[in-house]
Amino acid sequence: MTAPAPFRASTPVFRIAGGLVAAAIAALVHVAIAPGEAARLEGERALVEALDLTDLALFTEARYGRHRSQADLHSAFQDGPMLAEHFPAGSMVPPARGFPPAGFADGEGE
Amino acid sequence: MGAWATRQRYLIDFAALSLWRHGARSLGLWLIYVLVVFVVASVILYGAAIRREANAVLDAAPDVVAQAMRMGRHEMSTGADIEKLRGLRGADRLEGRLWGYLYDTSAAANFTLQVPSGFDPRFRLERGEAIIGEGVARLRKVEAGKMLFLISPARRFLKLKVKQVLPLGSALVSSDLVLVGEADFRAFFDLPAGQYTDIAMRVRNPAEVGKIAEKSLLALPGHRMVTRADMRRTYEAIFSWREGVLVALLSGALLAFAILAFDKAAGLSAGERREIGILKAIGWDTGDVIGMKLWEGAVVSVGAFLAGTVAAYAHVFLFSAPLIEPVIKGWSTLFPRVTLTPTVDALQVATLGFFTVVPYLAAILVPIWRTASADPDRVMR
Amino acid sequence: MILHPPILALVLASLIGCGLIAWASLFAWRLLARWDLASGAESQIALERRTYLVSTVMAFVMAMQIGALVLFVFNADRMAAMFVGAMCAVGTLNASVYGFPALYAKMAMFFAASLWLVADHVDGRGRDYPLTRFKYRLLLAIAPLALVEAGLSLAYFLDLKADTLTSCCGSLFTPNKDGIAAEMASFDAASALGLIAAALLLAGGTGLAAGSGRLPTGVLRVASLAHGAASLFVFGAALIAIVSALSLYVYEHPHHHCPFCILKREYGYVGFALYLPLFAGTALGAGGAMLRTLPLPASLNVALPSIAGGLARASVAAFALFAAVAAAIVWRSGLILIGG
Repeated sequence: MTAPAPFRASTPVFRIAGGLVAAAIAALVHVAIAPGEAARLEGERALVEALDLTDLALFTEARYGRHRSQADLHSAFQDGPMLAEHFPAGSMVPPARGFPPAGFADGEGE
Repeated sequence: MGAWATRQRYLIDFAALSLWRHGARSLGLWLIYVLVVFVVASVILYGAAIRREANAVLDAAPDVVAQAMRMGRHEMSTGADIEKLRGLRGADRLEGRLWGYLYDTSAAANFTLQVPSGFDPRFRLERGEAIIGEGVARLRKVEAGKMLFLISPARRFLKLKVKQVLPLGSALVSSDLVLVGEADFRAFFDLPAGQYTDIAMRVRNPAEVGKIAEKSLLALPGHRMVTRADMRRTYEAIFSWREGVLVALLSGALLAFAILAFDKAAGLSAGERREIGILKAIGWDTGDVIGMKLWEGAVVSVGAFLAGTVAAYAHVFLFSAPLIEPVIKGWSTLFPRVTLTPTVDALQVATLGFFTVVPYLAAILVPIWRTASADPDRVMR
Repeated sequence: MILHPPILALVLASLIGCGLIAWASLFAWRLLARWDLASGAESQIALERRTYLVSTVMAFVMAMQIGALVLFVFNADRMAAMFVGAMCAVGTLNASVYGFPALYAKMAMFFAASLWLVADHVDGRGRDYPLTRFKYRLLLAIAPLALVEAGLSLAYFLDLKADTLTSCCGSLFTPNKDGIAAEMASFDAASALGLIAAALLLAGGTGLAAGSGRLPTGVLRVASLAHGAASLFVFGAALIAIVSALSLYVYEHPHHHCPFCILKREYGYVGFALYLPLFAGTALGAGGAMLRTLPLPASLNVALPSIAGGLARASVAAFALFAAVAAAIVWRSGLILIGG
């Protein structure tokens, strides 16, 4: 048998597949280059270090969501099994169970 | 090329050809497939990126934070508490932190008021000066050099000159911050001298963090010690949990899609049936037809996987995930304009592949076999 | 249970795989009882027809199991951050009593699945179902393993809880403790490297002999079987070498013996570059030897020897890759264990 004939009628499909692979590679290259990202991350870290920050400013709607890793005066039922939830973020953020005083003996729920 | 590989090559060729001919028919299904992958991939990529960001950022957080507790509630620490820790060997850069929340009625948002640590001269603030986060500047429409007015719950006024707005790139940790000097902070919240929100500690040797946290607990029995590992685990658990819940919910969509794919693969058109009948009549055996159909399925599913993942990548990293943001944002008026460092994690991609390609292939196996093992004379008639 | 996408994916894979294998075993049972190629009865035709489905489904399941092993280890490494005291996959696996058994079962499943895929591939090359009986007997042998594997992984994932206090690799792979891990760690680095070098040479020699087409059939057969045995030997020797020497070179630390930390990003995922060729080489070598233990069916007169030879050559290539990676690790490391 001679060398297999080149793909003919199926070429458009392969062209599309090639395009998708190229796009995926472009994404990976974008990851590798990540313009300015290293500097930005470094700046962010420096800020955290300078100000002794401990938490992300992601859940700001209620006070008890802001510093998730810290105890504070505002947490509703901070040791309770489930807060009577009011804010949407609460459905996304489980009660913090990391601390011994919180005493979740079962350790479940993560 | 071996005989086996040559055969596979022809089968691929045939599969692609058949896809092209019946493409319009399966295009709708394929687009749904891409959409499903896109949603799952967006969640997974976003989760991975934000976890990585949190990890990298919390790397610089204090090693140990000591928080006073009283009757199960957080309590202010005192200067005497700090002095008790000062004797610990290995503890470096020990200081009382001053921070608290202010509900700002005009912006309807919670700000975090904080006194910057004295260790970095860039953040030294005089009376009446403030450094604010990007979100605060956005909501109150102020910029560097302008004035910012705050009213405490006890109706105390604070007039601040904005010295600087923290860079947008650090919004994830600083968006809601209002940094003020210690004198302003104490006056504003009516906080007596010598009281601190909690105590932050840095440890010279990272291997000693656990030991020092233990010793600190002995020195300050009423306090709870939050180590950096605790902070990290908190966020790791929050994000994994949320991601897992979303993916578990989405697996319903995946299942529905697999059923759709099964149905679609089971109902061949008369044309396709005839085609397979002819192939078998000219000498293809069942294994060949299954091989071809499997290649077809592989092209469809890998194609959808790539298309969906690339689209999700663009969604999350080029357009900052507008479809996911509301879920996390909730009712926050002050949501950081998060820019996430693009990351693609091999584990996430492998998981995604497992989630999307495996159910599809599993769903089409039986229909493929049904088609392939039918008698040629029966299907051609 | 920790809701974590990779865990969900692994559970999904386990459940799909286990269910399909159970279903296929029922079929295998029926087939072994009634299979008669000479018969033209309706039931035989139905069996023949159905065997295509079962083969395809099982090939899919086995391929999935192989992927699941990689995902399992990768995930175990990544989840270490969630447990107190864990630094790498060891901590995650130790967080539950089912962790290591689940890993071992997954590894056994990997090799069983590869053998089955080899048998299935060869069977497909002959037009008269030459290895069908053997294939389904093998499937029946694998089925209990698959059930155990799925049960263990499920038990493991259900048992996992975040914030569990677990032990780190440092406490497991230390020379002066009991247990097989400690035994491996206490192996002297020079003799471990000598052992793996000898094993690789042996596997390479027998593999090349088994893979060359010019030798008489009897010799090929012996060479192939020897290569299969040598592959298993390489596998054992390589694990010892990784624990007692290679990992030390990677970490550039004379007392850190962990075979899992090398999978981490910090070390450039070099562990995957070591383990993947090693597992592939062992599976391919064992697969080639397995083919040679079977009586040669007439319809595979040409195909079977050529496939067995190809497997042996591929196995040698994989081992060569392993050796190259290992040599590169020793070469580039700043640590000097031997001589110096």
